[in-house]
Amino acid sequence: MSRSWWGKLLLLVFVVALSGVYVYPTLSNLDLEKTKFPFKQKMNLGLDLQGGLYLVLGVDFHKVYRDVVERQSNSLKDRLKEKSIPVLGVKTVREGVPADDPRIFLDFDSAKREDLYQILKKEFWNLRLAGESSGHFELGLSHDYRNEVREKTLNQSIEVIRNRIDEFGVSEPAITSQGLDRVVVELPGVREIDRAKELIGRTAKLEFKMVDDKSMSPGQLASLISKMEKDHQLSYKENGKENQKFSDYVRKLNEFAKGKIPEEDEIAFERPRAGSSQGELGRIPYLLQSKVSVTGDDLQDASVQIDPENRKPNVGFSLNPHGAAIFDRVTGENIGHRLAIVLDNIVHSAPVIQSRIGGGRGQITVGRGDSEDLMKEAKDLAIVLRAGALPAQLDFLEQRVVGPSLGQDSIHKGAMASLIGSLVVFVFVAIYYRVSGLIAVFSLILNVLFVLATLVGLEATLTLPGIAGIALTVGIAVDSNVVIYERIREELRLGKNLIGAVELGFQKAFRTILDANVTNAAAGIVLLMYGTGPIKGFAVTLLIGIVTTLFTAVFVCRLIFDIYLKYLENRGSRTLSI
Amino acid sequence: MLELIRPGTQFDFVGKRHIWMGISLVAVIGTFVLLFTRGLNYGIDFTGGAEVQLHIPKAWDIGQLREELENGGFKGLKVQQIGLPEANQFLIKAQGDEHSLNQVSHRVADILGKKLSAGEFEIQRVDVVGPAAGSSLRMSGFLSMFYALLCILVYVTIRFDYRYSPGAVLALFHDSVLTLGIFILTQKQFDLQILAALLALIGYSNNDTIIVYDRVRETVHQHPELSIDQAVNRAINETLGRTILTSLCTFFTVFALWIFGGKVIEDFAFTLVVGIVVGAYSSIFVASSLVIFMTQYHERRAVKLKLNGGKRKKKTVTVRPEPKFQ
Repeated sequence: MSRSWWGKLLLLVFVVALSGVYVYPTLSNLDLEKTKFPFKQKMNLGLDLQGGLYLVLGVDFHKVYRDVVERQSNSLKDRLKEKSIPVLGVKTVREGVPADDPRIFLDFDSAKREDLYQILKKEFWNLRLAGESSGHFELGLSHDYRNEVREKTLNQSIEVIRNRIDEFGVSEPAITSQGLDRVVVELPGVREIDRAKELIGRTAKLEFKMVDDKSMSPGQLASLISKMEKDHQLSYKENGKENQKFSDYVRKLNEFAKGKIPEEDEIAFERPRAGSSQGELGRIPYLLQSKVSVTGDDLQDASVQIDPENRKPNVGFSLNPHGAAIFDRVTGENIGHRLAIVLDNIVHSAPVIQSRIGGGRGQITVGRGDSEDLMKEAKDLAIVLRAGALPAQLDFLEQRVVGPSLGQDSIHKGAMASLIGSLVVFVFVAIYYRVSGLIAVFSLILNVLFVLATLVGLEATLTLPGIAGIALTVGIAVDSNVVIYERIREELRLGKNLIGAVELGFQKAFRTILDANVTNAAAGIVLLMYGTGPIKGFAVTLLIGIVTTLFTAVFVCRLIFDIYLKYLENRGSRTLSI
Repeated sequence: MLELIRPGTQFDFVGKRHIWMGISLVAVIGTFVLLFTRGLNYGIDFTGGAEVQLHIPKAWDIGQLREELENGGFKGLKVQQIGLPEANQFLIKAQGDEHSLNQVSHRVADILGKKLSAGEFEIQRVDVVGPAAGSSLRMSGFLSMFYALLCILVYVTIRFDYRYSPGAVLALFHDSVLTLGIFILTQKQFDLQILAALLALIGYSNNDTIIVYDRVRETVHQHPELSIDQAVNRAINETLGRTILTSLCTFFTVFALWIFGGKVIEDFAFTLVVGIVVGAYSSIFVASSLVIFMTQYHERRAVKLKLNGGKRKKKTVTVRPEPKFQ
């Protein structure tokens, strides 16, 4: 045997040994904590195999853009006042324009157009002139700025979710963006699905707003709301069948209330707590001043604490110096009035300010239920407050939950089916090609070993379709062997000698095998780019399988054939068992 | 030597190609008719909706479960038994808007919680796809199939030439359409997994086609005396053993997956089973016949151009040596 042959054999032994080391912890199910085995890594199992939660969240950019335009509009107003350029009207518009591109309508004295235009051009680079008629500008957000806002919002959302999940404690969560406006969250092995969902989807926007008790008494407000509900046939029932979002209800109510309540005010509700009187609406309405005094951005810390009076848990928070200073001033100015603590547009409590509150400390009471539920709720609220608010509302677009028992069942059945299928193939090939068939079986087994080892090495995830992918790889790999063997048979029929036939068979088959696998890989790559979750797992194993198949069919199988030929030569045999 | 197909076998595939092409054409058109009349049974991946898989060890039957759930205010409620009756597994489907869909599994648990104690039932799997997500998944799904076909078209054109690529792609199109046809006929649920299986099939079934093409090309080179019909027929016969053998081996593996792989992967494996059978058929009967068609078309055009005095010579594409008849 030549030196290069020995080199190849050595390489093969090395690759096999390495693969063995990679798959050993997974196959023998080692306890990675305790084992002395030097390689400590197991196969990542997909959500469909170990159970868990898969979520696709959509970011509500319409709202984000609306808010940004609103802010721009306000600063534009202020700036124009400073520059004493008289404008006849500034308003933000959503109707009649694309939902993702709200506009500012600006009416002005036509004579001042140039001045106005210069200010816009120099100082408001993030606005663009979307339309103009005499004495009228239609402004939208510039494309660059929109992209910037979108990217920032998306990244920040991912960041916030990651912080929350980290505190919640899930091993190996994956939080990634998908496309331009989606976040994918994968939480393998998580059991408390509802809690995790609540934790992820909650905006957690904390605001402190003053209650406007001067304009309207609580009684007047309640009857105004009942009247509006009747007039506009609007209603909201807890757990009702309408499945209307509470936030939509409040938004509509506020639209109808325009002109009936002071311009700077808005209506908000406190959800009733167990034991308290429900009132005629089933929830307590508040008239709040829209202006926010302090927000959750100024929060320094939040933690669960136990109220010494009723022994119930609540969430204590402290504000950073900036927030504390404002808090101190606002409470000082409003002694005797009520300050509402608003979380995600729902009033949590509205205590009367007894005295100036320095130091920026306070507490938020939590909902209903027994003390265990309260404790959980308080804990989660503290987590979301600490992790910060999401920059936008997130909607659940897709969610998939797999229970642990189903996953276990899937592994078992999938592995079993693959094994049965492979065995049938092995037997078939061995009968059909005899000794050469056994060589093929051996290289197929190595092929599967290589696929598994590569999966572990790349830290790729094995899913149920992935297991199918491995089974399919066996099928495809057999193809390479068949192509080679049929070629060798043909050459033998043409009267070539053994070595020549084997040589030519491999040589001619190689091109065919390569061609066939390239198109397979093309399909695999498309799947990888487009697929999510389990399907991605299928694409990964398919692609790995193609590479290992090329290696085993062309390199491994050839090597063993050389040994076999040598053996035949030594025995003086002239017939190949194929 | 065990041989499935004896060397020198000469089935006349090509001579009867019009029959096979006719059958395929009718099947493809039939599928399209079915697609527009009966339609695919889209799963929630594409339509949006909620699906809850339940396991109830206690001997509840489907009627009782349905009765309990019907008062739950679900929209478009469907309750199905899955697997063997003893397994007591059920699939609950509901429709609705994004908000109400999110509540479905919750409400199912609430309703069952009233009648059963906590350990007695298990929610094994929940899939919720919002209506908007559903339509975008469907769009990107079909686009991905289009891209896969395009990649293969380009590759085959580069690797072989323009006379081969339409056949390869049409054969793949034929395979995917007929597999879809089976899905319409059986009304099995068509979801993301099935789409993935179809994509995998596009890659796999092209294998067979490429191997036959490879041989056609080789035969044309080595035996210029053969007409294209004869060359193709010879190539098909020479590779027939291989085509049947490998399809059979792959068939074994996916068949085992279909039978033993469990409920979750059953339809995925079923798609592969159907696709492999259709794929083997198409590479023998459809793809190669299209090569003949394309080659003859170009030959006729070349002859016509010659008669025209070669005015549009620039556009004539290099044609391999003219077949010589004995």
